[in-house]
Amino acid sequence: MIVATLALIGVFVSTYLTLYKLGYIGTLQCAVGSCETVNTSRWATFLGLPVAAWGLGFYVVALALSFLAVQERYAHSRRMAVALAVLTGWGTLFSGWLTYLELFVIHAICIWCVTSACIVLVMFLISLADLRSFRAAT
Amino acid sequence: MAKDRLDAGRGRRAEVVKKSKATSKAPFYAALAIIGLVGVGALAYVASRPKNVATTVDTTRIAAGEAQGYLLGKPDAPVQVIEFADFECPACGQFATLAEPDIRKRLIEPGTISYRFYDYPLPMHKNTWQASNAAACADEQGKFWEMHDQLFNQQDQWNGQATSRPKSKFQEYAKALGLNENQWESCYDARKYQPRIKANEQMATKRGASQTPTFVIGNKMVGGAISYDHFKALVDSALVLAKSDTAKPRPSGDTSRSVPVPAKTPGGQ
Repeated sequence: MIVATLALIGVFVSTYLTLYKLGYIGTLQCAVGSCETVNTSRWATFLGLPVAAWGLGFYVVALALSFLAVQERYAHSRRMAVALAVLTGWGTLFSGWLTYLELFVIHAICIWCVTSACIVLVMFLISLADLRSFRAAT
Repeated sequence: MAKDRLDAGRGRRAEVVKKSKATSKAPFYAALAIIGLVGVGALAYVASRPKNVATTVDTTRIAAGEAQGYLLGKPDAPVQVIEFADFECPACGQFATLAEPDIRKRLIEPGTISYRFYDYPLPMHKNTWQASNAAACADEQGKFWEMHDQLFNQQDQWNGQATSRPKSKFQEYAKALGLNENQWESCYDARKYQPRIKANEQMATKRGASQTPTFVIGNKMVGGAISYDHFKALVDSALVLAKSDTAKPRPSGDTSRSVPVPAKTPGGQ
């Protein structure tokens, strides 16, 4: 449930950044750091799409999976737990790479990107704990 | 019999569990709905706000490197001229487009003066640091002055009033100038020459430049978008001084004032 809630927040954060990247929003609200520097840099695009759009895709899939996982039918499905852990694990790695770029290559921090990275990390940790509880039960 | 009772008990328990699970999910759905509403509302709000609001750039934490102007003309020309300018300042744009072509043709090309441009980005101009950055990255490929001209000629297309994201415009200029776009972009994104720009800015304040553009012509300092004639008059007086080889400041009837300048090496301080 927490994972699904976090994923929904992530959907909005990444939608916000995607809309900015596509030019629907003039400027980013950025109390801390330099969001524009980060989001207009060459690393803000990955395989031809804005990184934020990849993030949006990730969160939508994560939301769908975690929403299903709390339904009766899949509540005891170990496969679902594995899928979530793998997905969020991959998200954590990717976010880690982006945060590395912000800190050491672009030399600027984007608070929204850091927020997203934290959300993904927490989602991963919870999914991992969930997976462990399955292991403990069997 | 006993087994039946046991089964019935299990069924009831399962029902209770089911019920409690169903009720415990209600706050979850409520939370999702609230987050969904708030999120959609917030996105609708930011998307409906007017675009092109300029952003603030914090430049106070940039470490200064060595001040280094951009040279045009022979470095050992008899009169040394320095300009402190802000790419986004309208007066600088006016000077660059009106007086500077004549200055280049009649004073720089014949070797009368050497001309050094120092960045003096002012805090009220939101895109000027990016412009200085774009020009410095063009300088890396030997095209500072070409980028300088593009920036001033098309100032209204990329300034803080026109856009909050000037990079795409600068990219167009870089392309039009035939720069290696990847190299330029990496340089721009990494803000490679920020310390140099910062140092140039510090030199401007150290030299007492109170407005943009400010010119140091020989031992005179003058501010504002001066005309070619005014500029030429100051160069002539500096030329006389240079020829008589006395660096003493002379009284002058114009708005410029005398400043102590080390002979022939005003740049690179």
